Amino acid sequence: MVAPALLWTLAFFVVPFAAMVMMSLAHMEGRDIVQGHDLGNYLKIFTDPSLRRGIFVSLEITVVVTLISVLLAWPLAWIIATRVPPRWRRIALLLAVLPFWTSYVVRSYSWALVLGEKGVVMNALVGLGLLAEPVQIMATRAATIIGFVHFFVMLLTLTIYSNLVQLSPNYARAAEDLGASRWQVIRLVILPLTLPGVMTGAFLTFVLCIGDYITPQILGGNNELSLPQLIMLQLGRRGDFPMASALSVVLMVIVTLAYAGCARWLKMERL
Amino acid sequence: MTADVHIKAVEHRFNSFTALHRVDLQIAAGEFIVLLGPSGCGKTTLLSIIGGFLTPSEGQVLIGGRDMTHVAPKDRPTTTMFQDYALFPHMSLRDNVGFGLRMRGVGRAARNAKALEMLEMVGLADKAARRPHELSGGQRQRVALARALAVEPDVLLLDEPLGALDLKLRRQMQEELKAIQRRVGTTFVHVTHDQEEAMAIADRIVVMNHGKVEHCGTPEEVYLRPRTMFSADFMGETNRVPVTPSGSGVNSPLGPLAIAPAKGMLCLRPESLGLAEGFSLGRATLVEAAFYGSYHRCHFRPLAAPDMLLTAHLPQGAHPGFGEEVELFGRNPVVLAPEAA
Amino acid sequence: MRILSWAYLLALFAFILLPVVTLVIFSFQDGRLPVPPFKGATLDWYREILTDRALMEALGNSLIVALLSSLVALVLGFLAASGLARVLLPGTVVMRGLLIAPMTVSYLIIALGLLQMFNKVGIRPSLLATGIGHVVINLPLCFAILYAAIGEHQKSALKAARDLGAKEWQVLWFVAAPMLTPGLAAAFFLAFTFSWDEFIIAFLLTRFDVTLPVEIWSMLRSGLSPATNAVGSLVFLVSVIVVVALELTLFRKGSK
Repeated sequence: MVAPALLWTLAFFVVPFAAMVMMSLAHMEGRDIVQGHDLGNYLKIFTDPSLRRGIFVSLEITVVVTLISVLLAWPLAWIIATRVPPRWRRIALLLAVLPFWTSYVVRSYSWALVLGEKGVVMNALVGLGLLAEPVQIMATRAATIIGFVHFFVMLLTLTIYSNLVQLSPNYARAAEDLGASRWQVIRLVILPLTLPGVMTGAFLTFVLCIGDYITPQILGGNNELSLPQLIMLQLGRRGDFPMASALSVVLMVIVTLAYAGCARWLKMERL
Repeated sequence: MTADVHIKAVEHRFNSFTALHRVDLQIAAGEFIVLLGPSGCGKTTLLSIIGGFLTPSEGQVLIGGRDMTHVAPKDRPTTTMFQDYALFPHMSLRDNVGFGLRMRGVGRAARNAKALEMLEMVGLADKAARRPHELSGGQRQRVALARALAVEPDVLLLDEPLGALDLKLRRQMQEELKAIQRRVGTTFVHVTHDQEEAMAIADRIVVMNHGKVEHCGTPEEVYLRPRTMFSADFMGETNRVPVTPSGSGVNSPLGPLAIAPAKGMLCLRPESLGLAEGFSLGRATLVEAAFYGSYHRCHFRPLAAPDMLLTAHLPQGAHPGFGEEVELFGRNPVVLAPEAA
Repeated sequence: MRILSWAYLLALFAFILLPVVTLVIFSFQDGRLPVPPFKGATLDWYREILTDRALMEALGNSLIVALLSSLVALVLGFLAASGLARVLLPGTVVMRGLLIAPMTVSYLIIALGLLQMFNKVGIRPSLLATGIGHVVINLPLCFAILYAAIGEHQKSALKAARDLGAKEWQVLWFVAAPMLTPGLAAAFFLAFTFSWDEFIIAFLLTRFDVTLPVEIWSMLRSGLSPATNAVGSLVFLVSVIVVVALELTLFRKGSK
């Protein structure tokens, strides 16, 4: 009974993946792919400034996005789980993740709408006299980060919320009973207890963020290219499959390293 | 470290549901009180009110003579031991037990020493560095006790602390709990629905039902001289025989019985029925018997009332043969007035 | 504390809802640009997109791909989960790991690998290729959800069915599937959503017949337009209605 699923995974995941790794060892001659067994592409990734830059751009954006999203989502999840009256909780949660239900592409597009020079935010800031003239946000890293944070705050709020409501209310009561202030209850008891959920969510954020092409392409533009943008660039402009594959392998390695880094907190079964 | 607790006309409502109806209760300092009753009887609500997790709709809670009705749990001289223990899974046993002291600003060395002393008391000093998930249920229960006692509360509140343990372990923990309570002298208020547990550990039992106190007394009083039908039934099995006064005795379906004249329901525990001693219940035949180890559980059919069945617990090796006719005797009669039913 | 909490809640809600609200409002813009000032309401843009053949075709394609790929993923995942829950073989852990593995790999990488393989064996970029890719990403999801749903209780029920003489297909059809209905529904719903919204695999593996996200993407290249707002708002409103309907019917029952 397991066979069909295994065969499917083998045929359409493992084999293509292996083919991709093989391809990363090939190189281009003119417009032709020449199969080889050299590490030329990888060498180039780490010596060519624009390619190497892509790795760092992606890493920086991803780390910043993950941190900001966790910091914003935790208090939101906590407030919904504990401060909002029970009958409003589901509605609050539904509101907090409402934009999930637009398509991913449209969500990035709508941020382009909001953050543009003539967009709502600049209009409001200039209108209120807080800014003399519109500031450029679109096509900068800031726009990419805002777009990402928007998505991952929702995702993390969901994971952290479900973690919080599973905790026995007696943990907080016991701590309070033994003399802890509200802040101490959060810091010494609730926060550590949600760590597995937070780490799982953060890892998910990391993986999805570093591999995403849409958000940096729509919001960040072409001024600095992230890893997925570079991969798409290799494919589109020159059909350089070997280099695209090598960059993908690098992306894969980064994700694996991140997984190893937080594996001890992760319970993947919970996903 | 001990204090008395005075509950004055406490009433509590959840929306339209009244969980407690004007409960009055005096608990002496150092007493081991058990709140006993079926689920939904209000015992846990009352415990939460003493602990400060609920503020009563009306009435007052005095602890050590001071009004605590509106004081937060952490500012009360009480600590609670929770049903699920609520041990912090990310802390060692030492840090769990020392948590309350840490909150009170006690230095690390001092609180570790105290934590170790408390773990010693519950026999877990060698596991101080372990985490809760490495322990068995009984051990967790001990840690929860140590943690609650480490801050030297005047009153310890226990919310069905033995509920998650199997029977054998529960009996053993009851004895330990009782011994520790004697040692520390703290007032214990313990909630349970297990009447055997209540009798085994309590100085006094408070039987509750539908948000009211049905009976409050020593285990012997509550068991042998129940005041209401509910507490008679809840504390154990009873044989019920309706009686009416007649001359110097009473009349019943079994015939005239030689007990003080009264009208109501005569309640007799199975072990108060025998083949000798006490007042006669008339003749009956044995219809069924089973051996329970320390006694024989026998069902008798009275000749005078063949549709009735009396249950008796007879000593080992002392039951008649099936179908044999014997004279039954009763002891410790309790007649409850009809309105008490 | 309380005021701070409410302020925080409102601030974050504003941040979360700002783009969607803007999107919807300016889909009614009576003008060429979906940015302030708002020049009055019109339904022209909705009329335009609803009569746009390419867009409507893409919508249909998306529905077909999402429906079929989630069904295949669901069936494969269900069979695998029931199979692996049956006995603890030495290989169970490895098989489970292999089935879950695609979940940790970026869609872009999966798409790239499939693109190369399809090129080699001569499968043209098409809806079929996209569908295959979507099964690859949704199979681990369906498997994980269903595998988690089979607890000790379910395992003994399956054992009892076999003990009573049920053939393997009967065990699956009469016992496992009805027992796992909530899990099956949740898995299908999630898989459908993921496939429906997936962009990069569809982008790389389709050419002439495209799915909705790819079609929207090509609309974006012509710059900001209220038409794009209208498409986005429509997708959003329909999804929200479906979600709320499900919440009110299926999942409410399930949670109680």
